[in-house]
Amino acid sequence: MLSAPRSTKRLKLGGVFFVFVAATIWSWLYIKMTFSTLFGGFDDLWNLLQYMFPPRFDQMGQVIDATIETLWMALIGTTASVILSIPLAFGAARNTTPNAATFAVCRAIITLARAVPTLIIAAIFVLAVGIGPLGGILALALHSIGMIGKLYTEAIESATEAPRDAVSSTGASKWQTILATIVPQATPTFIGAALYRLDINVRESAVLGWVGAGGIGFVIQTALRGLDYSRALAAVSVIFVVITLIEISSNRLRASIIGEQSAVITKNQKARKKSTERDHKILLKAVTLRKLNLPWTSERRLRISAVLFYAGLLILALVTIKIPIISSFGYLDEIFKTSADLFPPDFNTARPEIIRGILETIAIGFVATILGLLIALPLALLAARNIVVNRVIYSGTRLFMLAFRGIPELIVAVLFVSAMGLGPVPGTLALTLGTAFFMAKLIADTLEEVAPEPRDAIFATGATRSQEFFAAVLPQAMPNLVSQTLYLLDVNLRSSTVLGIVGGGGIGFLLLSALRVIEYQTVGAILILTFVVVYAIELLGSWVRKLVE
Amino acid sequence: MSKIFSTEADPIVSLTKVSKRFATGTLALDEVDLVVPRGQLLSLIGQSGSGKSTLLRHINGLHKPTGGEVLVMGCNVGDAKSKELRQIRKNIGFVFQQFGLVGRATCLENVLTGALGRLAGPRYGLVSYPKALRREAFEHLERVGLDSQAFQRADTLSGGQMQRVAIARSLMQQPVMLLADEPVASLDPESSAQVLELLLKISIEEKMTVIVTLHQVELAIDWANRIVGLRDGKVVLDRSAIGLTQEDVMDVYRRADRSNDLAKQEAEFPKSVASLSS
Ligand SMILES: Nc1ncnc2c1ncn2[C@@H]1O[C@H](COP(=O)(O)OP(=O)(O)OP(=O)(O)O)[C@@H](O)[C@H]1O
Ligand SMILES: [Mg+2]
Repeated sequence: MLSAPRSTKRLKLGGVFFVFVAATIWSWLYIKMTFSTLFGGFDDLWNLLQYMFPPRFDQMGQVIDATIETLWMALIGTTASVILSIPLAFGAARNTTPNAATFAVCRAIITLARAVPTLIIAAIFVLAVGIGPLGGILALALHSIGMIGKLYTEAIESATEAPRDAVSSTGASKWQTILATIVPQATPTFIGAALYRLDINVRESAVLGWVGAGGIGFVIQTALRGLDYSRALAAVSVIFVVITLIEISSNRLRASIIGEQSAVITKNQKARKKSTERDHKILLKAVTLRKLNLPWTSERRLRISAVLFYAGLLILALVTIKIPIISSFGYLDEIFKTSADLFPPDFNTARPEIIRGILETIAIGFVATILGLLIALPLALLAARNIVVNRVIYSGTRLFMLAFRGIPELIVAVLFVSAMGLGPVPGTLALTLGTAFFMAKLIADTLEEVAPEPRDAIFATGATRSQEFFAAVLPQAMPNLVSQTLYLLDVNLRSSTVLGIVGGGGIGFLLLSALRVIEYQTVGAILILTFVVVYAIELLGSWVRKLVE
Repeated sequence: MSKIFSTEADPIVSLTKVSKRFATGTLALDEVDLVVPRGQLLSLIGQSGSGKSTLLRHINGLHKPTGGEVLVMGCNVGDAKSKELRQIRKNIGFVFQQFGLVGRATCLENVLTGALGRLAGPRYGLVSYPKALRREAFEHLERVGLDSQAFQRADTLSGGQMQRVAIARSLMQQPVMLLADEPVASLDPESSAQVLELLLKISIEEKMTVIVTLHQVELAIDWANRIVGLRDGKVVLDRSAIGLTQEDVMDVYRRADRSNDLAKQEAEFPKSVASLSS
């Protein structure tokens, strides 16, 4: 026997693979996808874009106002979410939670928040607090708890134990110890995760206008409804530029926080050396003078200016955005009332539609993930600098991928729907594109992290490039590839629950209709089912990931 | 055996039949009796896994005994309320093998955390501590010879420097007793000597009671005025260090010799493989 032994793990993995393929085939048939609609769809989109071109930038005042509102919504929403997430994370982390009940409640809130998409929360909140950015901000704040809270919990749990034992041994109380040892360790992750989420939330708030929750989405929607395609394109390109700029700067900021050097400010060697020397002098002087305050090193100045900049932006946002800040607490009553109306959930009135919607949602998720993966693989090979060793090719591909990620998926979906009409296929195509470029980046990053030694060893045997790729690169990258695919499936399922809101198929459409005709209890049923599906996929994903590792 | 010591008045630590069985089933301490008078310098020896760390951690309440009684300065640590426990811990400095510094904080901040027991409410960052305490922390850093590193991040220091910062943090507590769990085990010989010398000097100057666990028997004998040996959680040796030779204490390691060598080989193993493959 020269084949690998059949361990139960291999059998399980085989089973998972089989189910995955079967589910994809079923999904493909369920949404009535064909190759001609697939390629026809891209054709239609291309035609639409040509028709939209050139963009008309004549109502820029309105577009810029809406863009700024979008940014402010993201900023305020993310900040609120961070404030809510911090206590939740300390309650949800095994090493800081005060008791089992708090632990369970905090974990449950974080999981629930993650499972209900922002757009759905926003659609419900708009009913409670009215049209405008407030509903959007609250929705961003709540949904982001899912991710921020989870990342913060992990950061707290991964803090090393040794300082904690040492400081609590000095007679410090529990919270003194936590603040002195765990918080400093977790702070870079806290900030990094908040920045990362801010980046995502700018994208999310760009589409909240579809349900009346403020931001540029409303401008785009109005233009499209009025068949005013050139103006729509103008608005889309403005938000595209803004999102791309924010992604680039947030990436750099995060790299400098996590890498812990001020690479952003002092780029060239000479300047950096000079600032290090100056810092050295400042430190020396502080010590000789017995200063009891932190000296103003470049790192500290940078940190303080970042905090001041952020605080300034936040104040500006709160002052200029059109929401009633103080009285917005009064809206909490409305939100509770509306939320109470969702119960008891009614699964019966629209049973066939609900079942169809859920199945369609799942099918869209599967097809988009697989199609996206197929596009992503070749792109990733071009973008990884250790595979195709050509600077122009890999940087060009990276730039191309970055540019495409700048358009929120739902806006792509809107364009596809405008080009092809309502239905699951345009939604699937939009998610496919989104998946492809995101996945390509993840895969390229994975490939670049592959250890070079085994590759050299295989090259040394006289293997060709492609032989080497399959013998050395792919096996090393495989566990990551599998878990990234699962992650994307997870992301796509979440996205496909809201595609329907812009006419792209899935359960979202039914949800929006139910909201419109005030069938709140049906909305409650849909919410619960959405949660179940998303949570089930998440559990499945983590189970398979454990198998692969 | 420990009669000569228990006759002294006013013991600072007294353990009676202390046993510890961990949730995993390991019996780490087995009816340990130990009385430590004030001002004593005590070395705890024993092979790896004999229960040295566990014993130290019982004295400041990081572990609770599953049997017997731990009295520290007249207070029962085993069932002390968290407030009483804090009071005891405040008086006991604890120096760990792994230093336990917060790497991202400056040395000065790390030293200041030693004052938390004296302060009410959580603190974050240098400015949250009163100026007088900051000045005090500076002085302690000076004492361990690291005042010029006061504003440097702790993770930029060498191992020996880190351990000295940890000692300064203990001094910040103004402790009457010091527990040190293999304070030099992760240091090179030169810094080891430096750190131990510092520890000894400070202990004597401050008239502190000290219990230290050491791997190196020679050091243990040199440094202490009493040697206690543990094997499998039991006290198997307890005598004055004066006139003690290395052969006298080898008994503590007796059964262990072979397995000790094996453990050593095991520890070397990954290193030798790594050097082969590189
Ligand atoms: N938290 C714990 N949970 C379970 N078992 C533990 C725990 N801490 C220690 N033990 C076990 O108790 C025994 C004594 O451990 P201890 O760390 O006290 O030994 P030691 O003498 O300090 O050894 P070393 O010289 O290696 O530090 C060992 O068998 C160890 O595995
Ligand atoms: Mg130990």
